[in-house]
Amino acid sequence: MLIVDDLHAGYGASEVLVGTTLTVKPGAVVALIGANGAGKTTTMRAVSGMVRPSRGRVVLDGRDVQGLDASRIARLGLAHSPEGRKVFGPLSVEDNLLLGAYGRLPKFLGFKSGAQADLDRVYGLFPRLKDRAKQASGTLSGGEQQMLAIGRALMARPKVMLLDEPSMGLAPVIVQEVFRTIRRLKEEGITLLLVEQFAKSALEVADYAYVMERGRIAVEGTPEELGRNERVIAAYLG
Amino acid sequence: MNPSIIGQMAVSGALMGLVYALIAYGFQLTYATSKSINFGQGELVMVSAFFSLTLTNLGLPYWLMVPGGLLFGALLGLVVERAGVRLALEQKSEGWILLSIILGLFFFSAAENIWGRDDRPFPTPFQSDPIRVFGVDVTRQELSVAVGVFAIMGLIELFKRRTLLGKAFEAVSADRDAAELMGISATRTVMLSYALSGVVAALAGILVSPITTVGPTMASALILKAFSVAVVAGLDSGFGVVLIGMALGALESLASFYLGSGWREAPGLTLLILALAVRPTGVFGKAVIRKV
Repeated sequence: MLIVDDLHAGYGASEVLVGTTLTVKPGAVVALIGANGAGKTTTMRAVSGMVRPSRGRVVLDGRDVQGLDASRIARLGLAHSPEGRKVFGPLSVEDNLLLGAYGRLPKFLGFKSGAQADLDRVYGLFPRLKDRAKQASGTLSGGEQQMLAIGRALMARPKVMLLDEPSMGLAPVIVQEVFRTIRRLKEEGITLLLVEQFAKSALEVADYAYVMERGRIAVEGTPEELGRNERVIAAYLG
Repeated sequence: MNPSIIGQMAVSGALMGLVYALIAYGFQLTYATSKSINFGQGELVMVSAFFSLTLTNLGLPYWLMVPGGLLFGALLGLVVERAGVRLALEQKSEGWILLSIILGLFFFSAAENIWGRDDRPFPTPFQSDPIRVFGVDVTRQELSVAVGVFAIMGLIELFKRRTLLGKAFEAVSADRDAAELMGISATRTVMLSYALSGVVAALAGILVSPITTVGPTMASALILKAFSVAVVAGLDSGFGVVLIGMALGALESLASFYLGSGWREAPGLTLLILALAVRPTGVFGKAVIRKV
């Protein structure tokens, strides 16, 4: 479903990714863990088109997408919920969600009825968003904004979803709620690439995991295999 | 000082000020999506007005000429975006400032060559005989300015709030990268904003020209005031530009009546300097709502 092969990317002269290779199979939850600055977020940005890769391939659903505009890649079925959530602060919660489904809705009128089923689904997952539907999303708490960012990505009915650091800056009880949601989405069959600082929680929910070090994949395997790997335990699970 | 004359001058001036507000609103539209503005906006107003005049001279009735002129304005806006602004924004440079000025100069020279240097009368179906509204005399012409300005601003605001494309416009304004991740093309949204900005410039020209006449020099006269209004009101409040535009128009009209016509430009420049010194984000400039 998503294949990343020998991906190189960076900012200006500094290369952050030096040959990242990974695969996310349909219906799988894959975790990408590693230290700060290892290139996890850059991997996501290069996959979704926010950063243009200098070399390598990104294959989404059988189609090469490296080098395309982020908006094009999004319309081809990739939903990237970025680091820092990036909700549209001045817009209402509901408008944020509707924009998540932008690619497949009528652009002028009647768009809300076209997205009603998806809105109901997201409100079912996150009842608090329904209570705050008309509120400017910039006034939500960090946890609510994270739920909105996840909900907004789900609205696209993506083939593959990228979720970057959903626990960042959140209270532990909210982090638990986020991971409960991820588990529930997994049961529904979502295809997800998850970047997470909390390696332990990420490995608990993942089917497969990659460990990044200095711009490339250092170790990969099932969570059980990584759980037995002494180097991984020492560096990330200790 | 006769209060009824003061009221009269203030109202006429305020209606004129709505034209400045409309041009300033055009700045806001492009600033929202791209953090850039067209410094040649005055030339867009002027060239669109000349084009509309030509349409009229070709025999087109007023109500067909207006949409023709607006469409032409949209095209000019797209030219400015494609030939100037985009080249700079792709390089992440501030070169759009110079490029839009250069395009403005180009439009100015083109207008002089095509239509000549003389000021010319502009057609309007609205009569200039005064009618009394709340004790002051206003002409139908002046009222048509107000109706036109509020109608187009109202339509654009409705578009932004009620249609998905309009919400996408707002999303690009709020966070360009995140909007791209939703499948919204930021490039196309910036194009749309420049087209809309061209439409409001053209409408400003069509509304103001029957009162001021059309000529190449109208560009620089209007742009300076629109700029004052935009700076004083801030680049994100449509309500702000209307209020400041009307206030500036009224002050101008009073200054030129009581102090002499040479003082007409004084209020705008004074306001501009004061605003830059005291509150560079504009009186109505608001802090972005964001909580993390």
